[in-house]
Amino acid sequence: MDTVTLYHWEPNANSGKPMLALMEKGVAFESHYLDLLNFDQHNPAYLAINPQGTIPAMTHGDRVLVESTAIMEYVDAAFAGPALMPEDARERWRIRWWMKFMDQWLAPSFSMFGWKFFVGPNARATRSEAELAAAIERIPLPERRVAWRKAVYGLFSEAEMAESERRIRVGIAMLEAELGKREWLASDAYSLADVNGFNLAYAMPLSQPHLANDTLTPNIMRWLRAIYRRPATQACWALGRTPMAKRVDILERDFIPVGNEA
Amino acid sequence: MILYHGEPNGPSLAVLAALGESGLAAECHPIDLLGGERHRLPGLSEPLARDMAVEGEGPVLVIDGEAMTESVFLAQYLDEAGAAAGTGTRLQPTDAYARWQVEMWCRRITERCAPAAACLANRAWSAARLADVGDFEAMVAPIASADLAQRWRNTRAGGEPEEVLADSRAKVAQAVKMVEDALADGREWLMGPVSIADFETYGWLAGLVDLEPGAFADKPLTAAWLARVQARPSVQAALARATAPQPEHSWAPGPEINRWG
Repeated sequence: MDTVTLYHWEPNANSGKPMLALMEKGVAFESHYLDLLNFDQHNPAYLAINPQGTIPAMTHGDRVLVESTAIMEYVDAAFAGPALMPEDARERWRIRWWMKFMDQWLAPSFSMFGWKFFVGPNARATRSEAELAAAIERIPLPERRVAWRKAVYGLFSEAEMAESERRIRVGIAMLEAELGKREWLASDAYSLADVNGFNLAYAMPLSQPHLANDTLTPNIMRWLRAIYRRPATQACWALGRTPMAKRVDILERDFIPVGNEA
Repeated sequence: MILYHGEPNGPSLAVLAALGESGLAAECHPIDLLGGERHRLPGLSEPLARDMAVEGEGPVLVIDGEAMTESVFLAQYLDEAGAAAGTGTRLQPTDAYARWQVEMWCRRITERCAPAAACLANRAWSAARLADVGDFEAMVAPIASADLAQRWRNTRAGGEPEEVLADSRAKVAQAVKMVEDALADGREWLMGPVSIADFETYGWLAGLVDLEPGAFADKPLTAAWLARVQARPSVQAALARATAPQPEHSWAPGPEINRWG
């Protein structure tokens, strides 16, 4: 049996997707933690595995895989264990549609807030100007260099932030409506779309309490709590090393009222 | 199953070809994408995927009133439904790693090449037609997605900054180079056996040959591959559905250029 090694950060967003998919499938893997805030992903040892310097990456024997959603599809297809993609072709289409919508349209809006208010300030607080400039210069992908520069130097414009806020509102309304149609996001059985969506949405009741709560979005709250209670989710979030992963604890609460905008 | 498609170009061509390869039957309805007809389709009980498609003005497959979009996923759907029905040619590998490779290839095309191609081609061939629309705001009013509606307005206004145009030209050139490199070992199709990657890539690049000749110069393997894809019966059948003399010049607002840069 070929060894599976996952290179990941916290159980959150892109790192959390293949982590949770592997846990759900019951695939044993070597966990290789990279501290994104410490720029571990741009170290030569990791670049030898993933020259793009993006997290996560997975090796399976001599195969190297990148891109979180594509890794999840591979994990589901390559290993035995509970199916996370149904047989029905239309449901498979719907799962892929939602994953692309979240990956390409909604998640970047959430992460713009995360990078502006968390990643950027954290980097500035822990490093000198010269260290930061050198760390950014080492980033292989030009678009990731732009993202880090924007985060570190606070260059997101008001218009960009307003557009991200608009998309978060629209996206939450879409999720709430879709989860009113069926138990899971895109199909009748738990799927990769739920794994993907949980990683995007688990902290919403904490970070967007004015938009995601038991009064305004009862379907989203039902869905998040159902995923939170799954053994795989518990095991996955236990791998977190920072307060970021602890945010999931909010799903222990039975009722979350409408909160104030942060 | 009804397929609403634009002229055989871009994502509409990719899906028409995948339909042909699948051996499945669908009612094919041509629509004028640049006339906004995609936002006035009848009989949609589930319009969400039409409204919020990342791809922009791509084809729409309708089954039981549910709008289905995103050309790569429609091609996968048709391939998997064809497999279940026992018809047609398979366009996805069975090996999980080979599938990952096809998916990653298609993502490089849809995420990097397609926004660039749409930017350049709409500037060349769509802006002038939109400028002639009398009540333009009435035409975009049914568009549910605010950012897609804004891309229509931007397409009409033109005036893309030179840095955006230069970046788009570079991304198209990179996609062509990726094709040329993939074919370097003498293979017939991009991923070995014919796959969704061939049709998706052809759809986005075929219309750029006239517009960005520099990107295709000295790329003999790419030229031969374009001709091979075009010669497939599924692509010939798709091209036979053209109502415009040059369907490769027929574009409509596509995916947005990555907001992160």
